[in-house]
Amino acid sequence: MSSVAPAWSALSPALLLGLTGLALLLVDTIRPNERSNTSMAVVSALGALASLSVTVWFVIAGTGHADTGGAITLLEGAVKVDTMSLFFTAIFASVTALVVVAAHDYFHDHQRPAAFYSLTLFAATGMALLAVANSLAIVFVALEMVSLPSYALVAFLKKNRGSVEAGLKYFLIGALSSAVFLFGISLVYAATGSLIFGEVAGQIESLDTLSGVAGIGIVMIVGGVAFKTASVPFHFWAPEAYEGAPAPVSAFLSSASKAAGFVVAFRVFTEAFPLGASLAADINWVLAFGVLAAVTMTLGNFAAAVQEEVKRMLAYSSIGHAGYALIGLAALSAGSAGNEAVMGAAMAHLLVYGFMNTGAFLFVAMAERWGIGRTFEDYAGLARRAPVACTAMAVFMFSLAGLPPFAGFFSKYFLFMGAIENGFLWLAGLGAVNSVVSLYYYSRVVRAMFLDDPATPSALDAIDVRPTALYAAVVFAAVATVLLLPGFGPVIEAAEAAAAALF
Amino acid sequence: MSDWIAIGALAAVGLLIPIGMMTVSALLRPSVPETGKSTTYESGETPTGGTRIRFNIQYYMVALLFVVFDIETVLLFPWAVIYRPAIEAGVPMTDLLWPMLTFVGILAIGLGWAWRTGAVEWARSSRAASRKTERDINT
Repeated sequence: MSSVAPAWSALSPALLLGLTGLALLLVDTIRPNERSNTSMAVVSALGALASLSVTVWFVIAGTGHADTGGAITLLEGAVKVDTMSLFFTAIFASVTALVVVAAHDYFHDHQRPAAFYSLTLFAATGMALLAVANSLAIVFVALEMVSLPSYALVAFLKKNRGSVEAGLKYFLIGALSSAVFLFGISLVYAATGSLIFGEVAGQIESLDTLSGVAGIGIVMIVGGVAFKTASVPFHFWAPEAYEGAPAPVSAFLSSASKAAGFVVAFRVFTEAFPLGASLAADINWVLAFGVLAAVTMTLGNFAAAVQEEVKRMLAYSSIGHAGYALIGLAALSAGSAGNEAVMGAAMAHLLVYGFMNTGAFLFVAMAERWGIGRTFEDYAGLARRAPVACTAMAVFMFSLAGLPPFAGFFSKYFLFMGAIENGFLWLAGLGAVNSVVSLYYYSRVVRAMFLDDPATPSALDAIDVRPTALYAAVVFAAVATVLLLPGFGPVIEAAEAAAAALF
Repeated sequence: MSDWIAIGALAAVGLLIPIGMMTVSALLRPSVPETGKSTTYESGETPTGGTRIRFNIQYYMVALLFVVFDIETVLLFPWAVIYRPAIEAGVPMTDLLWPMLTFVGILAIGLGWAWRTGAVEWARSSRAASRKTERDINT
């Protein structure tokens, strides 16, 4: 196919997202006084779906796959479209579509919702660009393209103190970690003399005295990645930002933005700092990621277990899941044949996680729309008034916990099995222990919704509206979580093929 | 002789000249203390109020829009510099024009949106208006 279409068309998923964002701005420019919430939501959902379908078509047609001429590079090698970039673009586009549909009901009484849709689409464009970046400069620019709209989105409810506070905290930590990340890039450039991943990798082996400089640079790049994926030590912003932000934005940040951090990590650390060469230069980033993964999942899960508010619990659980996905980088060993399996499983986990976690946050969005409280107790007896939505939420919770009949089980199973086969039994064991802990707090939500009685008989009278679009988004995410069960074979195959191209 | 000695000498002279001038003038000049000399300099106006005042938030919007044009210049300068040599080297004009036009087009959409949604309109806050009239009455 690449022989027929011009090379730049390989970027069309990202271009579609960006053009949709610009089109939304144009519509709002022409008619600024009309609150065209519905048409905005429809246009942005169509744009995201168009991007998703092009991406899926590319994956099926094998664009950038080794069988059809290999990865497509553009702009002097600064951009590279391969199976992994398409895989992650599919995650970004699906989460974006779910979030903008849900936002239609969430912002039903907001004064100017247009900016929300265009900011979301621009952030998604940045993520799609991040997935194809093959140069540290592009990585930084794309990272900022994701971050800057995200800050504004978190503080989108201008009159809500929590939202503004969350936005400010997110911005301050984000600015700090961007600076650290950029400094790391400059040190790597100083040591290797290039920003293109392939050329950096070529220089890593012959560093001699400069390996210390490159090592510090790599540690700083790990810091930038940790911020974007909400991992220890840059995780502090996550509970605050997710709790204060409008719930659709929390869904977007905790699923798509986290996956964007991981796509950078996967590509940078396999293509720019390949394991064998890095170890030869005494730069053992695998150990660093091992420690980070262990600390992140333990901290996330144990902190989630003591939360009283559902949204904050989900925020800490998303930190825990970042820890699981980090196993994809932590359980690698030089030259091992099992590397593809474990990194592919981490990608598949991020895809499944994209649906189940977005769905869970959108359920919280629905609860906020109804105006019931934020704590576990406030959810008591909810299943009697809203059985469909609560069933969907139960699916998300059990899938996030990794119980067998749901897609979350398979992705975790493949991830831990891959780690064990690569000789990282301790990481897999720690992950399994953490999954048991997580079952406790996930099941608290389900117990509250289905088994507990509401505190007062009138506590749930607030549920008098039926937010159709939110319902549709939540139910769709639940269906996707369940359908990924029979469909897990193709997903894991695509993910492992994507990972195989990296090693 | 190391090159750094010259740089060190330059630094020493650079420090000595201003310090020496200030010392000499302090020794020569008569001392006439006066309140007008110790007040804050405000371009010849009589200073009023403290230094810590709240600026109107709108200055910030103007500053943001300025940054848009600032970035535009950063791209347009190198683009303009390479334009003629590239034309002479036989690069098709469309290849040269589309990156610049795309960039300016995206900025124009953003600016148009900001304009239409009222970012450049000077909102009147009731408090500022009332303060202004108070001052007009006093003078």
